[in-house]
Amino acid sequence: MPEILVFATLNGLVTGLLLFMLASGLTVIFSMMGVLNFAHASFYMLGAYFAYSISLYFGYWTGLIVAPLIVGVLGALVERYGLRRVHQHGHVAELVFTFGLAFLIEEAVQFFWGADTKNYQTPDLLDFPLFTLFGQEFSAYRGFMLAISLGIFIGLYQVLTRSRVGLIIQAAITHPHMVSNLGHNVPLIFTAVFGVGTALAGLAGVIAGPVLTTFPGMALVLGSIVFVIVVIGGLGSLPGAFLASLLIGLLQSYAIAANVGMQDLLDLLGLEFPRSHPLDDLWTLNLAQIAPILPFLLLVLVLIFRPTGLMGKREQ
Amino acid sequence: MNGVTAIRALAAKSGVWAVYLAVLLLLPQLFDSILAISIFNQMAIAIVFALSYNMLLGQGGMLSFGHAVYFGLGGFLAVHALLMMENEAVYFSIAFIPLIGGLTGLLAGVFVGSFSTRKAGTVFAMISLGIGELVAASSLIFTGFFGGEAGVSGDRTFGPPLFGMDFFSDVDVYYLAAFWVFLSTLFMYLFTQTPAGRMANAVRDNPERAEFIGYSARWVRFISFCASGMFAGVAGGLFALNYEFLTDENLNLVTSGRVLLMAYIGGLGFFIGPIIGAIVLTLMNFLLSNYTELWLLYLGIMFLLTVLFLPRGFAGFIMMHRLAWLRGRLHTLALPYLLTGLPALLFILCVICLLELSHTAEPELHFLGLTLAQDSVLVWTGLLLFATLGWYLTKKSAPGLRRAWEAANEPEADAAQEQFS
Amino acid sequence: MSILSMRNLRKNFGATEIIRGVDLDIESGEIHAIIGPNGAGKSTLFHLISGKYSPTAGSIRFNDRQIENLSPFRINRLGIARSFQVTNIFPRLSVFENIRCALLWSSGYGYSFRHLLNRQRALNEETREVLEKIGLAGKAQIPAGEIAYSEQRALELGMAIAGGAELILLDEPVAGMSHSEADNAVRLIRRITEGKTLVMVEHDMNIVFDLADRISVLVYGKVIACGAPAEIRANAQVQEAYLGEAQAHA
Repeated sequence: MPEILVFATLNGLVTGLLLFMLASGLTVIFSMMGVLNFAHASFYMLGAYFAYSISLYFGYWTGLIVAPLIVGVLGALVERYGLRRVHQHGHVAELVFTFGLAFLIEEAVQFFWGADTKNYQTPDLLDFPLFTLFGQEFSAYRGFMLAISLGIFIGLYQVLTRSRVGLIIQAAITHPHMVSNLGHNVPLIFTAVFGVGTALAGLAGVIAGPVLTTFPGMALVLGSIVFVIVVIGGLGSLPGAFLASLLIGLLQSYAIAANVGMQDLLDLLGLEFPRSHPLDDLWTLNLAQIAPILPFLLLVLVLIFRPTGLMGKREQ
Repeated sequence: MNGVTAIRALAAKSGVWAVYLAVLLLLPQLFDSILAISIFNQMAIAIVFALSYNMLLGQGGMLSFGHAVYFGLGGFLAVHALLMMENEAVYFSIAFIPLIGGLTGLLAGVFVGSFSTRKAGTVFAMISLGIGELVAASSLIFTGFFGGEAGVSGDRTFGPPLFGMDFFSDVDVYYLAAFWVFLSTLFMYLFTQTPAGRMANAVRDNPERAEFIGYSARWVRFISFCASGMFAGVAGGLFALNYEFLTDENLNLVTSGRVLLMAYIGGLGFFIGPIIGAIVLTLMNFLLSNYTELWLLYLGIMFLLTVLFLPRGFAGFIMMHRLAWLRGRLHTLALPYLLTGLPALLFILCVICLLELSHTAEPELHFLGLTLAQDSVLVWTGLLLFATLGWYLTKKSAPGLRRAWEAANEPEADAAQEQFS
Repeated sequence: MSILSMRNLRKNFGATEIIRGVDLDIESGEIHAIIGPNGAGKSTLFHLISGKYSPTAGSIRFNDRQIENLSPFRINRLGIARSFQVTNIFPRLSVFENIRCALLWSSGYGYSFRHLLNRQRALNEETREVLEKIGLAGKAQIPAGEIAYSEQRALELGMAIAGGAELILLDEPVAGMSHSEADNAVRLIRRITEGKTLVMVEHDMNIVFDLADRISVLVYGKVIACGAPAEIRANAQVQEAYLGEAQAHA
């Protein structure tokens, strides 16, 4: 049991911090521009694919640096020539635009890279077990993921609380209408924030690609979850997004690890049900099976009972 | 005077409906191939589904990312009804199958709407997404009802024949679908003309104000939401009849996204918009998917271009010309449109050729009677050259089109000049 | 007899107390103006009466019915209608539809989806009458978001009176208008609110003293004086707290 707990916690942390790399960008973009960017996870996917292609020629480490930069530039271009244009037609148009963009990026990825799963590998340098606990190995690459995500988290925190740009962004998050009155070049800041946000998503893709497999559906798999995190944490709250990222990461990790099912519950209660009903799958459910549903269940519950999210102040 | 105009308006309106009905009934006479009938059936389903979505987003201002839930649940219940008929548990005409779908959609709408319509905007959109993902994921878990990845299939031919139709062929299904499409379209249109429908527009525009003229914004939204769920369910029932087969894809984000696409491309602000969208996208789906593997890519590009440049969709684009037409100046736009449109077409065709050439596994590409060799440098440079030329000419002629457009829509100045001359 | 009475009404936003114990009675049939410096809580008071906010403490009775915790639409159904300081209309609906929507509930249609609006002769006739009254009959088919500002203010008024409410709250009805537009608006208000009880917040003192039967002065969340225009004009406390400041502004 303890080994399951330790590994589930470690894996949950890795997932959670990875999710936060996406959620942080999404949150800042939402707070400043009021856009919930549906295509955010698509930039994560682009990060993985660019890094894969680069790694074929120049190795993993070049990809780690260059791919996020390319993604960031792409993101900035999308903001400058797409979002800004749609902005005048209102929020629905913006949401629909990013929705369409996510769709297009998925198709474009299939066009350029094909529909198959890419053999994007962890670098040889990190291809060893970091430590062995209770006979189970924890790979060095996962440790590396943890380190990168933690580094990004700390860096982001420093930038936001210490630097001038960070302060402007913070002001923009809490008082979106005020900042334009401060005389800062708001459109430029928007483009930059969008670029950095998508670059972070790209970086998450680069480091997650080898572990979570690089395939055209990877944006869809993670996209909705990241949305869930941002909403559960409270729209526009970075600490909330952090909390929710860890929560979802750990929740899923524990749910998969815990081999508990309805059958155990029924046995515990000493109940027996006849198995002839169309819904009798209900009685054979186990936690691992419903793990993918949990975030969405949580999302709906949070929205019903606390629409501001865990730590949000603004109700949208 | 008022009476006369009212009667005239009524006659014009019922004329439109008579034409609609006639078109629905005559289509299978004009195009009677199996393929055409199958496309018409797809269109029928898409029209009802897209109209039901527009009820939500276009009329009621609720952006949903989970509308497939009501479509899919309606469809699944309908297939189960077919299965029950096959097992001789029940016996009724399958003409009522869409009704079962509709009732399912309505019930699901009542349940979800009871908590999701409190707010519009982002909260509503997110709840709809959550519910959508929840139901889609559950459908893979509860395999007894949803059939898991394989789905559930039924057989529509076990019911009693209706007017001599035994529903073995798709044509029979078409006439049944046409009946339901006409009925659904009529009811959805009439709904927009009722107090509940008009207040849905009002709440979309300004929920706060609606509360101060005596209406609960939440209750107004709830009514639209339920009605929309019901018609989505009818569409799902039609789907079940046509394909006799449903899978988890019918209630997941892909289907929800597709209906958003249809309604948006067609034009949200107009009742006819989603109908146009449904027809165009079904046709494109069929035409393109037969000729190219890249059709989803083209669809995505077209969608983004529509959002960027035609925010009110195809219907909005057509309606944009109403003023020029009323002022009798529509013809002045023809030449400028040609001058910009032809180079733009050249550009688009060249880009398509380039995309296809770089994607195809064949050594040659046959396109518009041309044979393009994939390994010919000449072909590639030629295409690039023509694409650039098309782009340049489009850019260059665009200001002219804009000027012509403004001139065609300008009201007073011309009228005043005419008076003086 | 008073139609609306507030007792010890209070409203806090966090630690800030905006309304600090208001006692006020509105007599049936009167035109009652509420004046006071910026930030005195006039709009908040309107939001409390109309149900946009619920009070922290105290009571509001309308025709001897507690209304302080009802939602806006329930309060409206009881017979209180209001206009807004910032134009608050249905921009994409036509001018005609704006008024017709405002008439729907009081005409008993509720949430009906059985009636076709264009067939409701009496309703449409009444809509047209309201449009005539507010002088917008010629613009009936234009989207409300596209008409001129002063016309939107007239529409705002029209929507407030359309439902036939007994008590009408007007929040700065002539704000942002030119002199001649304001004169027209005052004539319009006089004409269309005949026989109704009217409570208005207004900054333009000429209009207030011209229109109102009684005036209440609200300063920092409290009513410091209430009476006929002549009394208010003579009240030393008011002159000090409010009129003096207003003159200083002018």
